[in-house]
Amino acid sequence: MLSFKAMRARRRLPKIHAVIALILLVGALAVAACVPSQDAPLIEQRAQRLNETIMCPVCPGESIDQSQNMLAAQMRGVVDEKLSEGWSDEQIREYFVERYGPSVLLEPPSEGFDLLAWTLPAVLVAAAGVALFIALRTMTRSRPTGLEDDGDATLPDEEFARYTRLVQEAVDGAEGGRPSESSGAGKSAQS
Amino acid sequence: MIVDTGYVALPIALLAAGYSIAGSFIGIRLRLPELVASARYALYTIPILLLVSTASLTYAFVTADFSVRYVAENSNLAMPKAYTWVAFYAGNAGSLLWLALVLSILTAVAVKMIRGRLPYTTPYAAGIMAMVLAFFLGVIVFLANPLERLPVTPADGQGINPLLVHFGMFIHPPVQMTGLVSVAIPFSIALGALVARSGGRDAWVDLGRTWAMISWTILTLGLMLGSWWAYTILGWGGYWAWDPVENSALMPWLAMTAFVHSIMVQKRRGMFRMWNMVLIIVGFTMAQMGMFINRGGPVPSVHSFAQSTMGWLFLFFMAFTLAASLIAFVWRLDSLKSSRGLDSMVSRESAFLAQNVLFLAVAFITLWGTIYPVFSEAAQDVTVTVGAPFFNRVNGPLLLALVVLMGVGPLLPWRRATASNVVTMLRLPLAAGAGIALVVVLLGVRQPVAVLALSVCAVAAAGILHEWYRGTRTRSRRGESVPVAFGRLLMANRPRYGGYVVHLAILMLAVGAVGSSFYGVQRDFVMRPGDEAAIDDYSFRYMGVSREEFSDRFEDTARFEVSKSDSYLGVMRPFRAFYHTHQIAATRAAIRSTPIEDFYIVPSEFQPDGSAVFRVYVNPLVWWMWASGPVLVLGVLLALSPQRQPAPVAARLPRAAQAARA
Repeated sequence: MLSFKAMRARRRLPKIHAVIALILLVGALAVAACVPSQDAPLIEQRAQRLNETIMCPVCPGESIDQSQNMLAAQMRGVVDEKLSEGWSDEQIREYFVERYGPSVLLEPPSEGFDLLAWTLPAVLVAAAGVALFIALRTMTRSRPTGLEDDGDATLPDEEFARYTRLVQEAVDGAEGGRPSESSGAGKSAQS
Repeated sequence: MIVDTGYVALPIALLAAGYSIAGSFIGIRLRLPELVASARYALYTIPILLLVSTASLTYAFVTADFSVRYVAENSNLAMPKAYTWVAFYAGNAGSLLWLALVLSILTAVAVKMIRGRLPYTTPYAAGIMAMVLAFFLGVIVFLANPLERLPVTPADGQGINPLLVHFGMFIHPPVQMTGLVSVAIPFSIALGALVARSGGRDAWVDLGRTWAMISWTILTLGLMLGSWWAYTILGWGGYWAWDPVENSALMPWLAMTAFVHSIMVQKRRGMFRMWNMVLIIVGFTMAQMGMFINRGGPVPSVHSFAQSTMGWLFLFFMAFTLAASLIAFVWRLDSLKSSRGLDSMVSRESAFLAQNVLFLAVAFITLWGTIYPVFSEAAQDVTVTVGAPFFNRVNGPLLLALVVLMGVGPLLPWRRATASNVVTMLRLPLAAGAGIALVVVLLGVRQPVAVLALSVCAVAAAGILHEWYRGTRTRSRRGESVPVAFGRLLMANRPRYGGYVVHLAILMLAVGAVGSSFYGVQRDFVMRPGDEAAIDDYSFRYMGVSREEFSDRFEDTARFEVSKSDSYLGVMRPFRAFYHTHQIAATRAAIRSTPIEDFYIVPSEFQPDGSAVFRVYVNPLVWWMWASGPVLVLGVLLALSPQRQPAPVAARLPRAAQAARA
């Protein structure tokens, strides 16, 4: 509180960037300090990552990593064993698919028909991106002339530029800084 | 007697809903205000009737009246009385009654609230709400009446799934169901306005936004409570599994998140009118999809036949509302023209649109992943599983992109951003993001995705804090003390600053998700009493187990003495209960939660020879996920609190703007 008063007396807060940087620095230190930095042994990490992709066959939807079921525990044992014998991740997954069918993997294979499962989202996102671009461009070009509630949509560009400049100057003059909410100008003009 | 009263109230409520549909639409068509008013009053009676039914079902549960089929199937004498409330919605019929009750109350409140301000829209909106209500009531009355009697009264009931006997179950299912069904209210208001030809006029937008935000908040809380329940009781140390029922609750949340943002553009700028209609229609369709998937869901039910019939009815009703709303949409398309075009490709409006598109993309990808197993089975006759790894890989990058937009979007000005003000606005947040990335790398975070995610969160947080700082500074220069200046700043533009508070809550959630998914540690330990083990910098000694017998179960409670880096933390007691009646084991983890990390022990097995298997987790930053809930609610309350007169600072700009224009 005292520092607040002191700041007020000076009518000037310390350099903004320093303050924000400090807050964020402290926050980051806090976040990072609690994140364990030493990594778990490699084989154990690999085992866990693998376990996360294999489903426990008797408890649908749960990976053998999360399941507390006996079978899941046995399967985790198998994974550990095969890993220590030097099997590759793919070989181990294949091993389980042979025994329990393709549904034992928690993600569809990325080949054959199931490639569709993976490509469709990518296609969807790409199409959405293109659609977004086209929509924005169309909307930018079409400036309906019909005035409904107010007419500033038809304000000519140079007129609009003059107006924003005036507002910004007014704001800058009054508040002695950068426009604090340049967005406010456009939107409050509506209300 | 009491049960019979409740039983009779249900068909009466259905009749009232039917009358309300007919009265609203015929009344408006024939211009009979009296008929419209009577339809409205009919709508007001439904919550009362349903409260009677709800009370009588509760009464039947409390008095263990096993002559009622639903009570016999979902409770037994051994069950603690407090869990009667959980039993109420453990099955289909009770859940439906709950859905109908909540919807009828929300409908009555909403109709009362919008009537004065939207006289033309209200009859249509009320008629649409009555239709949704009539659907639920019809299913209850004809297919799943929770107050139906059994021909023979059994001596004891069957009880409920013990996994449901948990504190979280008191709140999560009803909140989640309320969230899903409440989407019907903003949907009805929007569609009512559309049919009344005032969809293009933006009068409905304020009320539609208010109700959409209410519904969004309930959905959010439902999801959070569900995650919290999964985290504390299911004992797998996680909170989100991308399981079909979770996904089905997430999809409407995603669509509604898009809507509550996009509706702001219509409120402020009179644009995106068609798009907002599309979003709310998608939102309601996905909410119904959620209810449909949930009805065929994970809660075991003996009603497997009735259940499948009901699921299809939900799907049918979804198709019906979707088709009807699309017809209305096309029919009234001309009333939805934007009052203006975009001024620039780079502006707050376009950021909103990009955000909408991303949210919808995540929603549809989630839908795709959820139904892909069914699709694959039908198309290639191979059963595949689509689980967490798929969703993490596909949705993860999109969610990260959304956090980026959350940081950048609010900083862009409305109408158009010039290169110079984009640079000015983004300089500091981007610097903060880069700084954080550097700092976390120096501190030992090595996973590239984790570094990127934390850095992106920093960009978003810095943007918000920076703006708060500048606003507060401006005010404090005019002589307000800093706390007062900050408080008044928040109150001056509540939708905006409330939104920022919600964004901060989402960032807390994101940081928690990053910490726990990239840096969670887990290990299984086989221990005998007296053994000591260590994980991370925690060490713990297993002190032994004690068994307690109950009429329906026994509980094995283990005792651990836990220390962290040589300072003693205390005793932790995880337990495992086994229910004879259901042959189901339920574990309860012991969790020591701090803002830094959770230390989490869950028993998996107690062997007869005295040894036991425990799974131990250290989950960093999970605390932040649960803490974000209250922050989020505060933000929503701020954003929704009525603001009649703009505060001085907000009022200044328009005047300056008017002066500039004159």
